[in-house]
Amino acid sequence: MNDTVIEARNVSKWYGAFRALTDVSLTVRKGERVVICGPSGSGKSTLIRCFNRLEAHQEGEITVNGIRLHGKMRDLAAVRKNVGMVFQHFNLFPHMTVLMNCMAAPMWIKGVPETEAKRLALKFLERVRIPEQANKYPGQLSGGQQQRVAIARSLCMEPAVMLFDEPTSSLDPEMVSEVLETMTSLARDGMTMVCVTHEMGFARSVADRVIFMDAGLIVEEGAPNDFFTNPQHPRTTLFLSQILKH
Amino acid sequence: MLYADTVESEVLVHKPLFIATVFVLVLSICFMVNLTGTTIGELMRPVIGDPLDSGLYGRFAVAFVIAIIFCLNIALIGFAHLKAQIAIVWLELLLLFLAFFAVFKLSLPFIWQNLPFLITQGVVTTLYISAISLVFASAIGIMAAIAKLSSNGFAYGIATFYTSFFRGLPLLMQIYLIYLGLPQLGIILNAVPSGILALSLCVGAYMTEIFRAGIQSIDRGQWEASRSLGFGFALTMRKIIMPQALPVIIPPMGNTFIGMLKDSSLVSVLGVWELTFLARTLGQATFHHMEMLIAAAIIYWILSVCLELIQSRIERYFARSKVR
Amino acid sequence: MNKLITILAATASLAVASVALPATANAGAVLDKVLQTKTLTAAVGTDWGKMSFLNDKHELDGYDIEVVKSIAKGLGVQAKFVTPSWDVIAAGKWEGRWDMTTWMTPTQARTEKMNFPAVYINDEVLAAVHKDSKVTKLSELEGKVVGVASGTAAESYANHKLAPDWIGAKPIEYQFTPGQVKTYASSNVAFDDLRLGDGVRLDAVLGDGSLVQDAIKAGYPLKEVGVAFDTPAAIAIAPGDKEFSDKIAAIIQSMKGDGSLSKLSIKWFGVDRSAK
Repeated sequence: MNDTVIEARNVSKWYGAFRALTDVSLTVRKGERVVICGPSGSGKSTLIRCFNRLEAHQEGEITVNGIRLHGKMRDLAAVRKNVGMVFQHFNLFPHMTVLMNCMAAPMWIKGVPETEAKRLALKFLERVRIPEQANKYPGQLSGGQQQRVAIARSLCMEPAVMLFDEPTSSLDPEMVSEVLETMTSLARDGMTMVCVTHEMGFARSVADRVIFMDAGLIVEEGAPNDFFTNPQHPRTTLFLSQILKH
Repeated sequence: MLYADTVESEVLVHKPLFIATVFVLVLSICFMVNLTGTTIGELMRPVIGDPLDSGLYGRFAVAFVIAIIFCLNIALIGFAHLKAQIAIVWLELLLLFLAFFAVFKLSLPFIWQNLPFLITQGVVTTLYISAISLVFASAIGIMAAIAKLSSNGFAYGIATFYTSFFRGLPLLMQIYLIYLGLPQLGIILNAVPSGILALSLCVGAYMTEIFRAGIQSIDRGQWEASRSLGFGFALTMRKIIMPQALPVIIPPMGNTFIGMLKDSSLVSVLGVWELTFLARTLGQATFHHMEMLIAAAIIYWILSVCLELIQSRIERYFARSKVR
Repeated sequence: MNKLITILAATASLAVASVALPATANAGAVLDKVLQTKTLTAAVGTDWGKMSFLNDKHELDGYDIEVVKSIAKGLGVQAKFVTPSWDVIAAGKWEGRWDMTTWMTPTQARTEKMNFPAVYINDEVLAAVHKDSKVTKLSELEGKVVGVASGTAAESYANHKLAPDWIGAKPIEYQFTPGQVKTYASSNVAFDDLRLGDGVRLDAVLGDGSLVQDAIKAGYPLKEVGVAFDTPAAIAIAPGDKEFSDKIAAIIQSMKGDGSLSKLSIKWFGVDRSAK
């Protein structure tokens, strides 16, 4: 068995007549940290949402953990169990406590007994350093805390890969770092990660590979050092100059 | 409560212009309706002489006194605290109601004699018909709402036809259709099942729209988060969407059920001995029906108040995750 | 979504299947059913005055109730009562929900929907007015506002549509033409409107004699101004069961013979109005 976690080959997707992805090919290996960046509307979010089939692609092939993605629920459930996802707007379940948010999926999907699920949840809440908030409701937490709970919630399923869809974009500036720290420490522990983010500092220090997308195409990809110091494509240069200006 | 502004407004009932307007209004209304024959007229006998012979002067005097009492009353209430104001207004309206009923010269012994039966037979029947219909209506409502939101043309077609038909017909018509019409198809239902079926279908149609609005009010992100964790449709619906939709659904649902409690009276045409049927029936032989109608009216009111209380209890329960 | 369709379809078919499908009433079938279940189900009203009403113990009581019980006794079965509204009873198509009803004027139009095995009492339809009214006889009601209960022979009379086609009927003489006919769910509601005062809402009520007399006895400020017409009142059963019809006819006949029907009439109305 090879160590490929996600493999996308010639993936294309349309929203009606609008072509959101054009012939995208991408391979993510076990333990690899990939950062995807690009201007808004470039298709980067769409691409990672295709990886657990929150969106359906129309052409090409995506294989996750050796399972080819298609519309059938049974295979899809197996894939989603192994793919954690963190959203821009956290999407915690507001009617459940933080602890229950983390326990729900292991209990209901994997059939983990309650005490075991609780142990697991507390372990990962510890991991994101907010075990003391376990019995609060999401609405009582700050944005940064909520995003860390969301990460813990995904980790509780012990996924093979974590997808981050702009995890810091809707946070107040002072909370960005606590989330990035959590993500960095995850990376250090060897988690396979695909992150859509504009945090170039994070990309530079954590990523194995940076991918730049524009207009549904992968324009350029490379190791962070090359990518940031010596971009090949003029569009990449333009993007980097815009985003790093401040 | 409305979201109050921080502006400090003058108390309306203490504005001279407002009080004067109210005074003139009450005075003219009381003057137009001859009130000399009432208790107040009787109390003013020392001033106006025999109330019935007092003529225009007596009429005016009575109206004047009532207007003064009324204005004094609202001005005084204006000084009270909010809670006291509410309590006093409720109390006064209640007293007015009682006074209104007292005018009918009802036979209280007749009410007391028949009240136990009105409750053990009438209220119990009304309640169990309503309760069973409530359960069915909710089940129908959820199913039809899901069908209406689905992308399945067949399910969508059935659900929209259903809500359109049963919201579009008067309930009484539906009751007759089910009781008298279904037998043409060979399905013969007795009075109580017919009534329950009609109520369930009718209220279910309204519930469909309530559930649909509730489900649609939930952010798309909740569906996505739930899916990304691997939850299937049923699990997502049951554990994620419905619990969040319920707080949105409860207020209009409570409204609908209070309405249904009273609409259940329509099954009395089929001879079901529920509250309205008995209220119309019990006093008939001895011509005491006013007594029974008023007793039943008050019972309906009490039942509705109970439902309101239950509703606010449930609302408070669901508000617990909204604390900040 | 296919799952959902299956659930919907299953629920629908269950609902249909769970409904009992009794055979429709046919020759001999009603009698068989009555004897088999040992219950005779009769549809009666709860607001039919002394004919059928709820007594102090909240049980059905009255002339009709006792007649039904006697018929049940004659058949050797128990009497059971249901109380649908009059328009539902008079509509016919009982679908086996009940076996018989009482106090039905046996008109030709109704024979399509039901059979009339026996006439058991004679009814008179009276006109009543407020006691302040100056009306003294029926003809003075010309052009007045008259209240009636819906679906009754009195309503037909008021509208000049009464076909006196029952057994032994005399031709009807319409003694007045109401200016307006107001229809009520029951005669009692009409009495309530009449007692508000002469001409306030109604000038007169046309209704069954026993009901008018009950109202007056209960202190309603009314007075009788004359009999509009007499009608026989019959037992009615679903059409088509000759044996059942004959059985009931025989029982009523024997009650007439041994005087028990007269006794019942005197007990409830003070006079013998029973059919001879």
